[in-house]
Parts: sequence; structure tokens; C-alpha cells
Amino acid sequence: MGKLGAAAAVCAMALMGASLLGATQRPGGLLRPPGALSPEGFAARCVRCGRCIEACPHRAIHAAPLSAGADASTPCIEPRQQACALCADFPCAAACPTGALVGPRSMREVRMGTAVVNEERCLSYRAMRCEVCYRACPLIDEAISIDYRQREGDAIHAVFAPVVHEDACAGCGLCVQRCPVDDPGPAISVALAEG
Amino acid sequence: MDITRRKFVKASAIALASAAAGGTMGALSGCGTESGAPAAAASADAAGTVKTVGVCRFCGCGCGVIVEAKDGRLVSVTGDPENGSSRGLNCVKGYYLANALYGDDRLTKPLIRDDKATKGTDGGLREATWDEALDLVAARLKETWKADKSRLAFWGSGQQPIVEGYATAKFWKAGLLSNNIDPNARLCMASAVVGFMNIFQTDEPAGCYADIDETDVFVTWGANMAEAHPMLYSRLTARKLADSNVRHYDVTTLTTRTSASADKVLQFAPGSDIAIANAIANYLIQNNLYDREFVADHIQFKQGAENIGNAFEDGYDASEAGKTVDSVENITFEQFAARLAPYTLEYAEEVSGVPAADIQELAEVFADKSRKVLSLWTMGVNQHNRGTWMNHCIYNIHFLTGRYALPGDGAFSLTGQPSACGTAREVGTFSHRLPADLLVAKAPHRRYSEAIWNLPEGYLDAIEKPGMHTVKMFRELSKGNVDFLWTAHNNWAVSMPNLTRFLGRGDSDKQGIFDCFICVSEVYPTLSTQYADVVLPAAMWVEREGAFGNGERRTAVFEKAIDPPGEAQWDLWMLMEIAKRVLEGETIGGQDAFDLLFGAVYDKQAGQFKGSQREVCRTLWEEYRTFSNPQLNEKAAAINAAEKLKMEAKQLAPYDLYIENHGLTWPVREVNGQWLPTLWRFCDGPQEDGFDQLGVQQYGEQDLAAGVSFYKSADRKPSAVFRPYEPPAEVPSQEYPFWFCTGRLLEHWHTGSMTRRVPELHRALPSALLDMNPADCERLGLKDGDRARVTSRYGSFEITVSTAGRTVPPEGMAFAPFFADETLVNLAVQDVYCPLSKEPDFKKTCVAIEKI
Repeated sequence: MGKLGAAAAVCAMALMGASLLGATQRPGGLLRPPGALSPEGFAARCVRCGRCIEACPHRAIHAAPLSAGADASTPCIEPRQQACALCADFPCAAACPTGALVGPRSMREVRMGTAVVNEERCLSYRAMRCEVCYRACPLIDEAISIDYRQREGDAIHAVFAPVVHEDACAGCGLCVQRCPVDDPGPAISVALAEG
Repeated sequence: MDITRRKFVKASAIALASAAAGGTMGALSGCGTESGAPAAAASADAAGTVKTVGVCRFCGCGCGVIVEAKDGRLVSVTGDPENGSSRGLNCVKGYYLANALYGDDRLTKPLIRDDKATKGTDGGLREATWDEALDLVAARLKETWKADKSRLAFWGSGQQPIVEGYATAKFWKAGLLSNNIDPNARLCMASAVVGFMNIFQTDEPAGCYADIDETDVFVTWGANMAEAHPMLYSRLTARKLADSNVRHYDVTTLTTRTSASADKVLQFAPGSDIAIANAIANYLIQNNLYDREFVADHIQFKQGAENIGNAFEDGYDASEAGKTVDSVENITFEQFAARLAPYTLEYAEEVSGVPAADIQELAEVFADKSRKVLSLWTMGVNQHNRGTWMNHCIYNIHFLTGRYALPGDGAFSLTGQPSACGTAREVGTFSHRLPADLLVAKAPHRRYSEAIWNLPEGYLDAIEKPGMHTVKMFRELSKGNVDFLWTAHNNWAVSMPNLTRFLGRGDSDKQGIFDCFICVSEVYPTLSTQYADVVLPAAMWVEREGAFGNGERRTAVFEKAIDPPGEAQWDLWMLMEIAKRVLEGETIGGQDAFDLLFGAVYDKQAGQFKGSQREVCRTLWEEYRTFSNPQLNEKAAAINAAEKLKMEAKQLAPYDLYIENHGLTWPVREVNGQWLPTLWRFCDGPQEDGFDQLGVQQYGEQDLAAGVSFYKSADRKPSAVFRPYEPPAEVPSQEYPFWFCTGRLLEHWHTGSMTRRVPELHRALPSALLDMNPADCERLGLKDGDRARVTSRYGSFEITVSTAGRTVPPEGMAFAPFFADETLVNLAVQDVYCPLSKEPDFKKTCVAIEKI
């Protein structure tokens, strides 16, 4: 079963092709499942067994494609396709047999990365009432809050600017998955946690 | 020309960038053409892009937009800086509005269901010609009409454009002599409407959106403005940013995004808002904090029927309680004060759970005349088993403190839909109304309508008795008592409450939906079309010309920008073709019935309109406008004068001015050949500054307290009516221990039939979640993301639980939006309604929640 699940995930990865290129090209490496050790520690421990992939009820975790080089077949998340849902019991980490993933006690402990708003692309920064990322955030008002600002040259409307709080953001990427901006890409992305 | 979605989005982005760079669009007026096609020569730029003026298709804010089309396809929709309601602002729904027209499954051919056994499935409809479909619908309507016209019905909408609503009401009321026509606005605004009529004898807010810019304190009552009125909440927030002393109090049953940004939240037990409002009124009187002059000059006091029970049973309206709900009697101010006396702060705290000190603080806010206070409310107040009463109670506070119809000092009922005011209310698509606030039950109102419609005197006496209101319509339909139903601009199979009953999924004696002949005019397949016998493919939004009237009395036209896809047709054409067939051989006063009603706009022999869409809209508008400009019709003018109807109090301007001005707020007064809009109704001041100078001069009295005169009200005095606290229809029990509240969220419009087909919006909010309090989840063993079954005594549905915190209900309550038809929360929602307004209470169904 485990192998089959992993194989299926690899197939799914292959099908996604181009979109995953984004993941492989992410500066600093791949977005790991919650509870991952530091890049070095993770690389040392992960045996690419695929159990976390199989355990994820949301099919958010995939095996990195061959193009990821040394990271090929290690588990990663492409949030635009399916973000980490920050399950209360972290089944991915629980399934890890080697301790490459260590189950966080709560979503507030998770540090997969930090969301970064692209203010040029963001509709909210352009004074449209959007803030989809803010309302989608599982840590609403903690990881993302709204900075209310006067709209330039407009006395009667405000800008509702989403602001990410690095110290609270889990990096789950749900904001990235939900962002309605799509061309050339979403207006929010996850920068990896530094080693 | 085959543009893929990606290319389309790219094109939109480029067009938007160019629009933003281009600055304001002030010179765009009237750039549609007489033929209805865009005036390429007039405003097409070098790239062949044609710009037209429009207004957003979705919520009640009524944001103006500039529509750009190229090669017959929309390329962008951007905020219109010239629109006085929105000044160029938009929300994400408006930003992606163009994409709503390009879902993969637009209906482009008429469809017929031959086998009723396929109803409720996604199959069973076959393509047909327009003639076959129209013949069938007209034949079934005529057959029902001739056999028993109490068994036919039309269910319309606050999204139906104005002249279409007007024509539909005219066909139904004058052509078929039937009052079985009601809009989905019954689910939304009816309590506000009955409140307006009871209190002011005129159905309109006195204030406008500019009140937001002028006030010092906002009080939101049962209104999640941050999500349901995105543009207006931006305006509210801008006011707070401009002055750090501005305060916002949110009076609510659950924590919403509006509560999250309010300065203070008064969270009350469901249904207890009346106790809070009465306690505030009582506190003001007991402590001599009320405005004596305003009260003496402007207000009369009343009390009405009480202990009115609840509309659980189909026979409620005809019961002893149901028959007397509208009765009121005059009382003195002292009697009014005595009725309020039991509503102490302590009593209100006991009933509502809101600390007495917080209620007192809000009362003091109202008492402080150095600051302006603006109340805003929506569905928490209206969708309430005492919704009309709660509307009364809010006005009572504003009357006692002299805060009504003044800039920044007002009570403003927010509307839900783009033309709930403009169409549902103003043109008379309710079962008890005629155009321009007129009532079928009043003989002078019928005489006046007969005069404008060229009907023989007394002709409309046949519709003296109101028809079926919405819930009654569907209750009777479920019992097999409706043989013909036509619906347009709504999706009743998702939006109605108690769908277990109405969709025939419950009792075996409530299977009427499968027998009734149902015609659905639609732009996309919906759950409603799954129950339709005939589906008529409609032109959507700017694929035709139309107009909406928003919550601040602003009428705005959206010009035709492109042609509809395939064989889709303008709703007005469908109406003409069906009316023509049904009225074939019928006469009114010796004249051909169809020609008498619609001959000015439609040539029935040729089967086409007399002129362009612009001309047709203009002709119908000018006819409708006669209701509020009686001098245009000699007979009407005489009735208006003799019966003191004051019809010109709602004066409307000639059609084209609405395009030129990007919308105008009524009454629009003619002064020396200029047409001047009114922002602050009943408030004396210069007409050119938006005050109601001409109205007050003509009908009112100047120099009264606060400089206002309520000249539309009986004795020029609105009514403060004492309304007691009576508990919700049902309260949580051991079997059904939770309150269940439904509502809208920002990303989706109503039932999602349009916004869920916009990939960007679907991505933003792909499914409906049940927001629960974490403590309840823990008790029930539920985690975020678990599936749960929600069951009421009406029905049940399954849904995914969320504790993410977007909406945080208190313990013992859960919230879910109603946009998702795969979840269909309305299977479990009660159809109990406010006995006065007949508007269902979507906020307080008692349910059980269990983990699946």
C-alpha cells in the first residue's frame, strides 16, 4: 500500500509537470511538510519512504520530481495546487519512521516558511476589497492581519492591506492556494524558513 | 476567435493597466448606440476596444463600472470613478465580473423536459426551438390562467433589471389580473420594507451612502458589512481612518469580520436585539436624554398587536393571530414610555447576555448630541421572526434622539441585491404592490394605475386582494396547489428555506414540485433548472441594456456591450413573446389586450421590438416614470391631486440622464430645465447640494426641529411603534441544541451560480464550511476539517467543519454560507417568517450537529 501510494503520488507529480517546476525552483529548496527538520537534518533523515505522502488526507504532499536532483522523491508541498491543511494531529509527521518530520504540538508551532505578499500584484493593495488570503488564513488576525490605510487620492475609501506576521505565519500556503490573482502568478507566495 | 481563459485573463490585465493609466472616464456617457450594439465609432480606441458604462451585477452596493469589450467579448471591468455610489471602488467579485459571463456551460438554447420523472436530476432536458419552448410555456400559462388563476405564479428578483420588472408586474397584474407575483427580495428586504411603510408610509431610506463620510459613530446591527457590503465597508473604514475619534459598535450574535474591526462588540443571544433596543430607548426616556423638540414636531406614538405567535403552520396568515398582526393604535408619549419601562438595562442583560454597562454605553452614545450616529443593518435584523419589529425598534431610538434624515445622523437599511430597491420595491413586483409604492388594496392606488396603464376604471379591482407571498407560494406549490410557476433572476432551489419540503425530499404529501409546470429563465444550469419543465436561456448582464436601483435610491443604467451567446435572449423579449401568446384573442375595454399593454414597445405581428434596446428601455422607463411624474398624464394628475397621493414625491428623471450622469438618486427634481438628484430625503436645504428642498417646500413644513419634514408620512409624522421582546420561534433543546445561522461571504454572490463559474473566485472560496466554536467542537469530538451532519426538524445536510476563525460563533451556535448547492444548507433551514413582512428567519434554525 505504502509503495503504491507513493507511486501514485509520483505519477500525480509527473502529471502536474510544469506547475511543480515552481516548487523545485523555489529559492532555498522545497516546501517541506510541517515538522520537518532543518534542510540538512531533513536530508540526513528522510529515507523517501513516502509514508507522509500516503498519510496526508488532503493529498498536499508529493514526491519531488527527478528534476529536483538530489531532492528527487523527497516529500514536498506545492501550495498553489494543494496547501498544507495544518491537521490538528499532523498525520504526516506521525507516519514518519525516521524523525525527519517531528510532529508539532499545534499549528502555532509550525514553521514551514513565511508568506510574502507581492504588493504589485495584490488586488487589495490596489484598493480593491479582496483580502482572500487574510480570510483563508488558519491563523486569521495572527499570521495575516489587515492594515487599514487611506486610499491615495480618495478621501472616502480605504485600502485593506494584508500584512503577514513572520513570527506567527506557519507557511502552510493556504493563502497561496486561495489567492485569486493568477497571471503571471499568485500575489502571495511562501518563502522558505531559513535553515 | 477562440480566446482561452488564460489569454483572456491576460487580456483583462492589460486592459486594466491601460484603463488605470487612462485616468477617469468622464467622457464615456452614452457610448452605447441606438442599435444596441456598442458605438464603435464613438468610443472605440485604436485597438478596437469599446467602453460602456455599467453597474455591478452582484450586491446591493451598486458599484459603477466601466466595461470594455473587443470583438464582441468583454475584456475588462473596472471601477467607474464617475459613479456617485462607489467612485471607482470595486471588490474582487466586481474585478472578475467579466469572467462571470464566460463559464463553460452557458445556456444557449431553450430546453424542454419531456419526462417529469427526470426532475431533480441533471438529465432529462433536450434542446428545443424558441417557438416550441415559448408555445409550451404560454400554453401552460394560459391553460392555468383560464382554469384557475389562483394556481399560477411568478417568482422574480431584486436582480431583475428595472424596466423588465416593471413590464413583468404590468403583465401579471394588468394582463393576467393576478397578484401571484413576488420577488426573492421577500427573503431579503421585506422586513425593512414593511418597517418603512408602517413608519413612514413610504418605502425608502432617507439617507444615503454619503452619511458614512459624515458620521462620528457607526452602529451595525445584524450586519456583516465587511463581507456583504465590501465597498461600503471600505467607505466606513476610510471614515474611521480620517478621524481617530470615530467609533464603531457592532451589535451581533456572532463574531464576523465586521466585529473583528469594530471598536466594541455587543454580542447578544439570538432574537434578543429587541430587548437591547428597547432598553436603550427606555434609558433615553428615563434619563431625560431624548430630543423633546424633535419628538414634539415629528413623531407620533403607537402600539400594535402583540403575542403574535409564529408562522410554523401553512394556515398562520389566516389564523386569528395572523390576521391581526398589522393592527396598530395611537398612544401617547407617556404610554409609549410606560410600555418601555420594563426594559431596564438589567432586564436587557438578562435576556441578551450583553452586560448592562455596554448597553448603557451605547445608549449614552445615542444621547450625546455633540456627535452624529449612523445605524446600519441588514439580514440579522430583516431575516428575523420579529424582523419588522426590530426595524421599528431601531427607528424608535433614532426618533427619540432626533437622528434621522440628517447628514451623518441616520438609520440606514442596507440592501442585499443590486436592484432590490430599484425593481422589487420601486416598480411593484410584490404580491401586494403596484408601481411606485402603490398598494393593490387601496382603491385610489388602483385608479391611479389604471389611468397610467389606460385600463378601464375599476379594471384592477379584480386584484384588490394581495396574492401569495414567497413562502406561501412555495408552501402551496409543495402541496400541489400551484400548476404553473415561472422564475427569473433567482435560484430558488438553493436560496429558499425548508428545501427538504419544497424540493419534494420530505413528506409524501408535499411532492408538488414534480407536478407543477415550472419555467426557469436562466444563464447557467442550476439546481432550479433541474426542476424546470422548460429552461429559457437568458442574455446576461451587459449582453442587453438594463438598469438597477441600489440601496441609496440611486438608479443606474448598464449599457449593452456585447451580444448574448448562441440563442440566448433578452428576458424582456421572452416576456413579450409569452405575453403575446397568452393574451392572443383577449381584449381589455374593447382593445387588443397585448397591444394596449405593450404595443408601444413591441410589434407582435413582426415578433420584434419597436426600436433598439435603448429605445425600448427609454419608452418603458418613460411610462413607469409617469407614476412619479403625474403631470405627464392628465387623468393621473387629477387622481393624484384629488386623493393627495403625492406621487411626484418620488420623482424620476428622463431615461438618458441616468446614463449621462452615471446614475442619479431619486427624487430627481426638475429645476429650470436641470434635473437635480436628492441625497438627503425630507431634509431642508439647497437642492443643488443634495437636500430635499423642493419636496419640503411643496408638501412639508419648513423650520421644524432639525430642519426636516416628513411630508410623506400621515400627518407628516412618522410612527414610533412600541414593539415588545418576544422570543425566537424555536429555541435550542436537548434534541436540537444549536442555533444555526446562514449568510453571505465576500467571494460569492448569493447561490454562486455566477461567481462559482469564475475560476478565480471559485479558487478563493471553493466550498461552504460550517464555522463552529472550538469549545463545541471539542465537546462533540470534532476537529477542523471533519465532516459533520447538521439536522433540524426540517431536514439535514453534511458539511465540513471549520474552526479557522473567519466567523466565530459563540458556544451553541454554528454558521454556514448558502452559496454551495452541493452542501445545500437550506435543506435544514426553517421557513418560519416574520408575521408582518413574511420574510423567513434564516438566522435561528435549531439544529443538532454530529460527527460523521
